[in-house]
Amino acid sequence: MESDPPLPVPISYIAGSYFLFSIDAVTYLRREHHICGVLTGTLPQIPQQNVFLGLPLKLMPEEARLLVDNGVACIVDEVKAQREGMRALREADRQKYRRELESQGAHAMRLQTNRKEQQREEALKRVEAKKTAAKKKAAAAAAAAAAAAAVGEGEDNSAATGSDEPAAPDTAPAPAEDTLMAATTTSITSTSTPTTTTTTAPYGTTMGITPATSHPPLPYTPSPSSSTVLPPPTVPPSYPLFAHLHAEGYYLSPGLRFGCQYLAYPGDPLRFHSHFLVVGADWDEELDLMAVVAGGRLGTGVKKGFLIGGAADESGLGDAGSVRTFSVEWAGM
Amino acid sequence: MADTDEAAIHMPSQDGSAHIEVDLSDETQDFRMLSNISFLTDGTQASIPKRGEKDFEPNPTLYQADILSASRQAMHNALSYPRIHHPKNQMIGVYAPNGPAPPSQHTPSNLESIAEGSPQTYAEVPSTTTTTTTVGNVHPDACVYVANPKSNLFKTIGQADRWNRIWLLPEEALFMLERGSLNIHWPRSEVGYDEDEEDEGDENNTEDSGIPMSLQAAYAAFASRGGLNSERFSVYTGLRRLGYTITRAPGWNDDGEDAAGIEDSGSEESGKHGAGLAGIYSRFMEWLCPPSTNTALGPVAGVGFHRSYDDIYSKLSIIPWYDPTAAPQAARSPAQAPYRVVFHVYKPSTPFKKSAPPPPDFRIAVVEARAHTSVPTLSQLGALLESTPLDPPTSEKMSRQLYMRLRHGYRNVILAVVDEGVVSYLRISEAAFGKEKLYKQKALANKTQYRPKPKPKGR
Repeated sequence: MESDPPLPVPISYIAGSYFLFSIDAVTYLRREHHICGVLTGTLPQIPQQNVFLGLPLKLMPEEARLLVDNGVACIVDEVKAQREGMRALREADRQKYRRELESQGAHAMRLQTNRKEQQREEALKRVEAKKTAAKKKAAAAAAAAAAAAAVGEGEDNSAATGSDEPAAPDTAPAPAEDTLMAATTTSITSTSTPTTTTTTAPYGTTMGITPATSHPPLPYTPSPSSSTVLPPPTVPPSYPLFAHLHAEGYYLSPGLRFGCQYLAYPGDPLRFHSHFLVVGADWDEELDLMAVVAGGRLGTGVKKGFLIGGAADESGLGDAGSVRTFSVEWAGM
Repeated sequence: MADTDEAAIHMPSQDGSAHIEVDLSDETQDFRMLSNISFLTDGTQASIPKRGEKDFEPNPTLYQADILSASRQAMHNALSYPRIHHPKNQMIGVYAPNGPAPPSQHTPSNLESIAEGSPQTYAEVPSTTTTTTTVGNVHPDACVYVANPKSNLFKTIGQADRWNRIWLLPEEALFMLERGSLNIHWPRSEVGYDEDEEDEGDENNTEDSGIPMSLQAAYAAFASRGGLNSERFSVYTGLRRLGYTITRAPGWNDDGEDAAGIEDSGSEESGKHGAGLAGIYSRFMEWLCPPSTNTALGPVAGVGFHRSYDDIYSKLSIIPWYDPTAAPQAARSPAQAPYRVVFHVYKPSTPFKKSAPPPPDFRIAVVEARAHTSVPTLSQLGALLESTPLDPPTSEKMSRQLYMRLRHGYRNVILAVVDEGVVSYLRISEAAFGKEKLYKQKALANKTQYRPKPKPKGR
């Protein structure tokens, strides 16, 4: 199960965008703060598709601002933090980091070896089961039916088992080799000189790992006084509307796919369809009636409501700063 | 009177497939569908799951809460899948923050010796001043080199230098790291070696430090490098994932000139007059009663002989129109960012050679939706289209179908509009309605379809 990240969560500011790289932060912010962002990275397990995407998670400036305003997150100038942080590394840090990665890599290797071993056993079992079944069948057939028919079936079965067999030897030698290598190398490392200078593990025993975050070796968040902490993001004028809808429990995502500013979901977009196409407007801003009609028709066409809203100013009804929203539906008289 | 389309709006359609093809990537998909695929056991199985059912709105049932938490757990598991590299086929790239540079003289020939090299061996080696010879035909923005390139991806990615290393542009390196195909290491100069050890005062020390870059570090290092930004990278990686080959276009840099468009459009106005005797005759008739340009007096079609409807129609077409096949005017304003072609895209079926890229199948300009909220002006679009070469609708299918021709146009470009990581692609083409003379089309159609039956012979 996931663990909650320590607060405040660092949001990386890179090339004008706000990114999250830690999976714990992504899950936590989604669960507790209704911030979904947009996944933009490639999933390494299925890299050839655009339906399921992976880390990093890209946040809208509004989302980043909301999190900073709520004291949940802080903005980090990642380019600077990386360059300065990595350059300041000492030999001890580097060795520690390498050792950590190595143990992770060795662990991954063990897992994969075990899995291969299991697969091999299962495959062998299947083959065995098939063989015995085939034997039984052949025997039964031989006993029951005429000799000619039994011969034909026997050939069939032998052909079937024959086609299965190459699968097992395929997977078999590799893990055996690996475990052998692992065993020998671990014995070597344990007996070899205890000087810590040889930090790199022997070739072939550990997986290379590309970590998702730089938390080790770099600190989780830079110290608040550090120059790498940036001020809260600048947000578009529709931010009050965004914050209002978010406070009402809606999940919001960028809405250009439906020709609006935000899509408002009643619950987590993993499980629910969106209900509103949201467009922000200033108080007393002149709206083109055609735009309202177009939005209303578009929203109705995709079974969503068209929602306009904005923060009231002093002259407005209600308190200054309070947000009012209007939903438009095509009446179809 | 109710429109039929309105009726369709209010009737929830029974059959979803009757509508436009559903793009799965348009919506957040349920990651539980993903966990049905077992990647670890079977790498060959690569079918993408169908979309799951969603609920209308939250209700306080435990049932719904359970499904939601299962979905989130599946998402968590999918996203926390590590990027691991088996030592047998691990590819290691090294980040070169100062761009392409030749290897320093004492670089060990193979990576194993680097990996096993202890700090003592480095200390023994005298610091060499890296020779400033050129590295060959490598893009100056390239910033990662791979010494042991072995991947199918390199058929379309990267440039080799004289030492058989492949150099990657920032977007290429980031894409390969992100999909788990490449492990990029920090160079020694960037991870504090030159502070610890006196002998390594060299800023250009791009040797492998053995410390891998995290995804976060790679984004920080590459995403804003050499003209790349997160919008361009979204487009690049999205199309790469779909199998397209995508390369930088000459318009990538703001000052780069886009030489692609300047081509001789060798189509002159031939065929206005037919060849042979008929042509001479029609020219003679035109000379006899020259087409009157003054429509203030008399009928628009002019007084005089009208020998065919075509003549009348051509005289009636008094609205000037732009011919995209005509040579562009001298004052050609260059395409301004962001309405510039920054990517050339090739279909997976197009044979691609890195050394001699064929003409691209698509040209893409990347627009940030937040920064540019209005439709591009006509002059911006015109300049953008003029920077693309002439691509007339000449295929056999299109020569038969008028609307295909109009849709294809004479020049075309694709706008990728990126709104916070969500990319929409628009195809803009220059349709030449003026070149499709409907009256001629009609006559042709009449001839083929309503051909009068030949009179029965005989007496």
